[in-house]
Amino acid sequence: MAALALLPAASEAIYFRDKISWRSAIPPSEMVTVEQTRGWGDTAIWVDARPDEEFASDHVPGAISLNEDRWNELLPQFLTVWAPGKKIIVYCSSLSCNASREVARRLRKEAQLSDVFVLEGGWEAWLKKNR
Amino acid sequence: MKTPILAFTLSMIMCLGARAELKWEQTAIELHPGPNDKQAVGHFKYENTGKTPVHFKSVHASCGCTTAQTQKDIVPPGDKGEITATFNIGDRTGTQVKTVTVETDEAPNQKTVLTLKAEIPQQLEITPNFVFWKQGDKPDTKTINVKVGKDFTVKHIKVTSSTADFQTKVEEAGSGQFKIDVKPQDTNKITASMLTIQPEDSQKVFYATARITNAPAAPVAPVGPTAPARPSAPTGQTH
Repeated sequence: MAALALLPAASEAIYFRDKISWRSAIPPSEMVTVEQTRGWGDTAIWVDARPDEEFASDHVPGAISLNEDRWNELLPQFLTVWAPGKKIIVYCSSLSCNASREVARRLRKEAQLSDVFVLEGGWEAWLKKNR
Repeated sequence: MKTPILAFTLSMIMCLGARAELKWEQTAIELHPGPNDKQAVGHFKYENTGKTPVHFKSVHASCGCTTAQTQKDIVPPGDKGEITATFNIGDRTGTQVKTVTVETDEAPNQKTVLTLKAEIPQQLEITPNFVFWKQGDKPDTKTINVKVGKDFTVKHIKVTSSTADFQTKVEEAGSGQFKIDVKPQDTNKITASMLTIQPEDSQKVFYATARITNAPAAPVAPVGPTAPARPSAPTGQTH
């Protein structure tokens, strides 16, 4: 009976596997607030995951553009600036949905970099605290 | 007493009959673009099955990489149309889910979410696409793993280094997998090299980066003579 009761739940989990919260959500340890980044100074690299136009319009001073529109082109440029021990703070805006999460995920998975964080509240949060 | 109740009931029935209603053929579309496609386009078809016109108040895509277009702002009763959602793939890979939120005047805050799911095929999965050595490290060989995507057949790959500072060697690992061994000539010199990975019989190229870094280092010049960093004429070894 118990096995029968588990069957619908298991089927649903398989069917909605792409939407399972623990796969899409970012662990709190990988999120960072603007306040938390204040003391990081030169030990951090800011990565702007927004589209080119938004980056060109304005960005965090010193930030490097790395978006998925031109990932193959921009990643090598970012990697020449990165150094071991540096923290990476990725941000996007409310207009670019999950861009920062995706960029952070790819930096961890594809380039196998550690200390990659996603900025909570993104570009808007940074603007609010800094301008 | 019966007359007001009858009038109320009749007016309710008339209101219901007269209301606008946009019927969507589907609110979720799954697309499978080809490996060289730049865009994935979804057509969300609708019909106004109500008795009054429907106005589109707003059509908003979930991110900058997706655009949505309506054919008309007002949909008369009985009329059909579609909202075209265009997802610019760029260099994205894997499963991509984008949404378009459509607001109409059918009812207060009437919103419909249209979902576009695209499975972007990946010919080669390269892990890691970055190998580095700290300055002065032992110049050991590091390996980049290349896995061929499930819908592709690649028998050979060609790897080219943009500088002679790194040697590369390709090994077939079977089951659609390859290993690229990367070895620096000298780890005392800070340098970076772009590794161009090209499947046999394919126009598409993939990239990896090899670098000697000084930790913590000041930024070095980007790979290649000018940005973007794609090398146009690699000068290093080819395997």
